[in-house]
Amino acid sequence: MLFAQTLILAAEDKEGSGLDLLLPATNELIAGIIAFAIVFFFIRLWAWPAIERSLEQRQQAIAGQLEDAEKAKAEAESLLQDYKKQMEEARAKGAEIIEEARATAEKLKADILEKANAEASQIVAKAREEAEAERARVLAEARQEVANLSIDLAERVVGEALDRETQLGLVQRYLAELEQM
Amino acid sequence: MILAVPECNVAEVTICAPANVNELFELPVRIGQINRTVLLIFLAAFIVMAVLYFAYRRPRLVPSKFQAAVDALVAFIRDEVAVGIIGPEGIKYAPYLLALFLFVLVGNLFEITPLVNFPITSRIALPAFLAILTWVVFVVAGIRKQGLAYFGHLLWPPGVPTALKPLVGVIELVSTLLVRPFSLAVRLFANLVAGHVMLVLLLVSGVAFIAAIPEVGAKGLFGFAWFGLGLAIWVFELLVTVLQAYIFTLLSAVYIQTSLHPEH
Repeated sequence: MLFAQTLILAAEDKEGSGLDLLLPATNELIAGIIAFAIVFFFIRLWAWPAIERSLEQRQQAIAGQLEDAEKAKAEAESLLQDYKKQMEEARAKGAEIIEEARATAEKLKADILEKANAEASQIVAKAREEAEAERARVLAEARQEVANLSIDLAERVVGEALDRETQLGLVQRYLAELEQM
Repeated sequence: MILAVPECNVAEVTICAPANVNELFELPVRIGQINRTVLLIFLAAFIVMAVLYFAYRRPRLVPSKFQAAVDALVAFIRDEVAVGIIGPEGIKYAPYLLALFLFVLVGNLFEITPLVNFPITSRIALPAFLAILTWVVFVVAGIRKQGLAYFGHLLWPPGVPTALKPLVGVIELVSTLLVRPFSLAVRLFANLVAGHVMLVLLLVSGVAFIAAIPEVGAKGLFGFAWFGLGLAIWVFELLVTVLQAYIFTLLSAVYIQTSLHPEH
């Protein structure tokens, strides 16, 4: 009861019909005009420029970021191109080096082979020369032996000593004649 | 608040009817001409400015949650209402529409704000003033855009047969210059009045019934139903208050648009 009555507050002095509700109260109208004017001019003069500014900043930031990204992309692209080019060059150079090495090796091989061949033929020639010389020496020795044997034989046949010097010359001459035949 | 007839006895009449409906809207605190409605009107203005001030005091590239929320609201009014309805030149009217929307929105939300519980837009002064202001804005916009031809276009939309011109002229004149501001004001006002009346009656009578249980017995249990229904309508009023603020702003934009583009 008491609580209900505290909710129910004392009536104001004004007696009116429901129509009053549809007529603006002067004090509220004036308050409304002033309050809305303050709000409008606050927005028009401060808030709206701030909103536009913040929007513009954001736009610029986004545009700047996009531009940066574009730039970075172009840079990466050119870098990639560079790398590709370098790679290509390196590959070409590598191939060239391998080719060169192969050529050098080939040449070296040829040289070594040639040298070896030459050496071999030299050795063969030397060996042949030596063999020739040996043969000549052996031949000369044999000739000497034959001459001595012939003289010995002849002495035995004749039964006396012969003039060795003269006979040797004779045999030698004869052998030389034989060789020439 | 319900104002009591002093001899009303809750034990007998169940609910005390106010002496007249005005008493639901007359607030008791009053210093000279400054009553609670006047204070709330200035409080609404203050809240709108405070919200904008704190959102855009130091705008950041990556907005704070608060700034992002206000940004979304502002972007909605600018892009969907100002530019969306009026067209590219609507950006000029965006500050006005934003002021309108935020002021009406806060004024409406007072209806369901605990401890305030009183929508300043349920007093005809505010909707009437704002509707007349919109009227002035769209008439001035029409005259500035089309000169005096605005009134011709206003009376006779393009393509009206000559024979119908007197009739159409009268209808258009009344509809544009009288019905528009009137309906704009009354729509907002009536919605908020209805909401406020429903909430006050259901919540207060609910509390009154429940409080009277010791005296009136089981009859007082109805109070729970009234109070519950009041809470349900409270949620519904949240939708209504936001929607009415939006509709008021949207229609203002539409009226400005028709002044700028008579062909539509």
